Amino acid sequence: MNSATSNSTRVHWWHGILARSLMGVVGIALLMGIAASLLVGQVVGQHVQDRALVRLGELLDTVESTVSVACFTADEQLASEVVQGLLRNTEVRRALIRAGDGEIAGAERRQRPPGTDRQMNDPAGSMVKRPIYSPFNPSEKIGEVQLEVDWAAVDAQVRESTGFATALLAVSLGLVIVAAAAMMLFLVVRPIKMTSDRLHRLDVVGGERLAMPEGHERTEIGRLSADINQITGRLVEVLEHERTLRHQQEIGQRKYQDLFDKAVSGIFVADRDGVLDSVNRAFVELTWLPEKRGDARQKLSDAGWQDLEGLLSIIRASLDHSDESGVAEDDFLLVGNRGDERWLRVAVMPVGDGSVQGTVSDVTQRKREELSARRLAITDALTGFANRVGLHRAFADIGAATAPFALVMVDLDGFKRINDAMGFPVGDELLVGVAARLREALVETDFVARVGSDEFVLVLAGEQDRKRLSERIQRLAIRLALPYDIKTNAEHIPLTVSISIGIALYPDDGADIQDLLRCAELALNFARTKGGKTYQFFEPALQEAVEHRRRLEDELRSAVSSRRLQVYFQPIIDLRQGKLVGAEALLRWFHTRHGPVSPDVFVPLAEEIGLIGEIGLVVLDEACRHAALWRQKGYDIYVSVNISVRQIPDDLPHETVREALRRHKLPADAVAIEITEGVLMGNVSVAQAWIEGLRADGLRVFLDDFGTGYSSLSYLKRFTMDTVKIDKSFIRDMNADNSDRALVDAIITMAASLGMHVVAEGIEDFQQLVLLREMGCHYGQGYYFSRPVAAEDFTATAMRINAELAELCPSVGESPAKTL
Amino acid sequence: MRRLRILILCCLFAWPPLAQADMVLVANPQSGIERLNRDDVVNIFMGRYRLLASGITAEPIDLADDTGLRARFYRALVNKSLAEINAYWARLVFSGKTRPPRVLDSVDAALQAVISNPGALAYLERSQIDKNVRVVFELGD
Repeated sequence: MNSATSNSTRVHWWHGILARSLMGVVGIALLMGIAASLLVGQVVGQHVQDRALVRLGELLDTVESTVSVACFTADEQLASEVVQGLLRNTEVRRALIRAGDGEIAGAERRQRPPGTDRQMNDPAGSMVKRPIYSPFNPSEKIGEVQLEVDWAAVDAQVRESTGFATALLAVSLGLVIVAAAAMMLFLVVRPIKMTSDRLHRLDVVGGERLAMPEGHERTEIGRLSADINQITGRLVEVLEHERTLRHQQEIGQRKYQDLFDKAVSGIFVADRDGVLDSVNRAFVELTWLPEKRGDARQKLSDAGWQDLEGLLSIIRASLDHSDESGVAEDDFLLVGNRGDERWLRVAVMPVGDGSVQGTVSDVTQRKREELSARRLAITDALTGFANRVGLHRAFADIGAATAPFALVMVDLDGFKRINDAMGFPVGDELLVGVAARLREALVETDFVARVGSDEFVLVLAGEQDRKRLSERIQRLAIRLALPYDIKTNAEHIPLTVSISIGIALYPDDGADIQDLLRCAELALNFARTKGGKTYQFFEPALQEAVEHRRRLEDELRSAVSSRRLQVYFQPIIDLRQGKLVGAEALLRWFHTRHGPVSPDVFVPLAEEIGLIGEIGLVVLDEACRHAALWRQKGYDIYVSVNISVRQIPDDLPHETVREALRRHKLPADAVAIEITEGVLMGNVSVAQAWIEGLRADGLRVFLDDFGTGYSSLSYLKRFTMDTVKIDKSFIRDMNADNSDRALVDAIITMAASLGMHVVAEGIEDFQQLVLLREMGCHYGQGYYFSRPVAAEDFTATAMRINAELAELCPSVGESPAKTL
Repeated sequence: MRRLRILILCCLFAWPPLAQADMVLVANPQSGIERLNRDDVVNIFMGRYRLLASGITAEPIDLADDTGLRARFYRALVNKSLAEINAYWARLVFSGKTRPPRVLDSVDAALQAVISNPGALAYLERSQIDKNVRVVFELGD
């Protein structure tokens, strides 16, 4: 408590409890004293009078018997004696004794106090009479005694008594007042004053406690002190708590201030209009915020935002959606005074008073990376053209194009072979060369993308006229077909490549890029199947062909999985001995709707869609199974199985072949493998190793369809074959004197000289049989002997053939032992 | 109890006449007085007045205490003890207006006084009287 408070609560003694209560007590005592003295005067007066009368009565009692004697004997002297005695009493003014009718004695006090003649006022009360009876006969009245009261004396007594009582009362009241004042002073006023003084000096905050006045531990003042102590204690606690809180708050604020000042991110508080309330150093550095000019408040717009409106709009959005999280953020480009750019990510959230707090961080690096990544994603790294994604993106950007254009898909023929043979660096160099020529050939409005390893798409704007387009494309093809000078590490390789081209037109062939690409690809594929080096416009018929093929594919898959492909066998005949020595396993597909489908159709299909491996295994297994069956029945024959180039080497490893032989308990010479020249034209070393492996296992290898392809003699030299099968086209057209006969003869002669057997395919009549025998052909097959037959019909066919041959040409069997 | 008390009371009051002979007040036959009533006797003996109806001053005579008659007489007359009677007289003697009765030592002297004095009045037992005196009052009436 400070001095001001203590001054203001100073107590003057006349305001004190003591003075007030004393005044009260004195007043009441005075009133009571007056009332009491009046009452006492009344009561005492009455009492004194009564007592006087009683005393007179008693006085009369004492003299009664004497007066009785005096009256009885009318003894005046005795009566006079008695009267004199009575008069000695101060309260008696006059005494009179009557006996019979006459007064026998009487006397009166001489001196009478003046002014006190109550005889007049109260004659009845002033006389005391007593009848006197005979001493010997109580019923006989013989006289009377009369006493007259001396009221003056009585009044004097009354005054004396009243005065005394009043004095006593006054003294008592005075004593009581003094005592009460003392009690008040000592029991109440002084303890309160002491407590008050102590309170004034009390250092509450220092933990000091109010001392209790001595002896007041259990009084109300003691309780008051205790209460004050309790309250001050609680107050001190609250103050302490408050102080601690304030301290913590200060520390917290300092921490946040530090964070704010030293944060790497820029921090700002701004209002709806972008007027800045506070910013930290990082913000100023990040935004190149100009120095403060005078008292004007800084604004967000002071910095060189490229999209200031966008920045203000996210602030407004944040403020307007403060019921939700209210966080709004975006990237903004900042352009400095010298033209340098910086991307800043700004995130704002409302702080509740109509302004936002925002953080700013530099995202330039990330932004650049994103941009470059985005560019990379749509760009072909090798050529710098757009990639497939870029192409789509470009079309998406164009949107619904209205101007017609041509989509040209360019494919390098045999690029894979070049890659395989000469390595990827050469291939890449070639692609770069092609790209360069494409770029030269294009005009400003054209667009080019590399959509596959060797596929480019050209978008030629405004091209619609087929004739002009054809000319342009032909010029392009010629240009691309010129030799390329490929530089490798050490040498320059001249390389030539032909191209195939598919063309689709917008909007005739398709409404969107997907359709156009598909159409162009269809046309390209068609051009490729025509052998490449050509171009093809998309036609609806192509589409139909493709769809037909796709259906066929589905049906073929279904046929394979449901085993509707059947293996037929065509007998192979030893022409010299006239007997059956083997059979060629041939695949037949009886289509549920179209009837039998030619292997020339479905085998290439199976090769393309990757079914050939599975089919080949089925054929091999079936062939082995039946060979084993027939050999059990006594036909010592072999079965030859056609192998597609696609099966070599992975779809038909040697182990699989060996396993098939083992499974059916067949010797190796019971199975022959027929391959075409196509096998030999691919990867030579692989094919060679594969063939050698088979032969090492004891299998024979036939070269099928000899004469139709390259029929390169070098193949025959390089690959060791057991047998050559002459294609049926030669046999069919063979006459006695034409070139085909000469060719067949040459082949037979050559094979014989190379130590190979020959099988003539497609023998259809006896004439051909005879001719072939004459030319020294060992074996043959054809409709003349039998068509390919189902396995279950084969034994019957074999029996028939053997029988017919033995019968038809007995000369045939002339010297069988010699030839075998 | 009540009956017993009554019996005792009867005894108390009946005893003197039964045990002793009746007392009588005698006067000189020449006194002119035939009879006296009780009030007359009290007034004369207690000093109220002494003048008789016949004009003769009455002279009451007390017997000495040792005769026993005096106590019996006052008891019978005013129902007081001798001490009371003496105290009564003590108050009066100082004023001198009246005197107590003259005291004689014996019955004979009293008789003699009555005979010789016309105003004299004495009490004695009925058995002690003779022809020379007249009974004017009988105590116990």
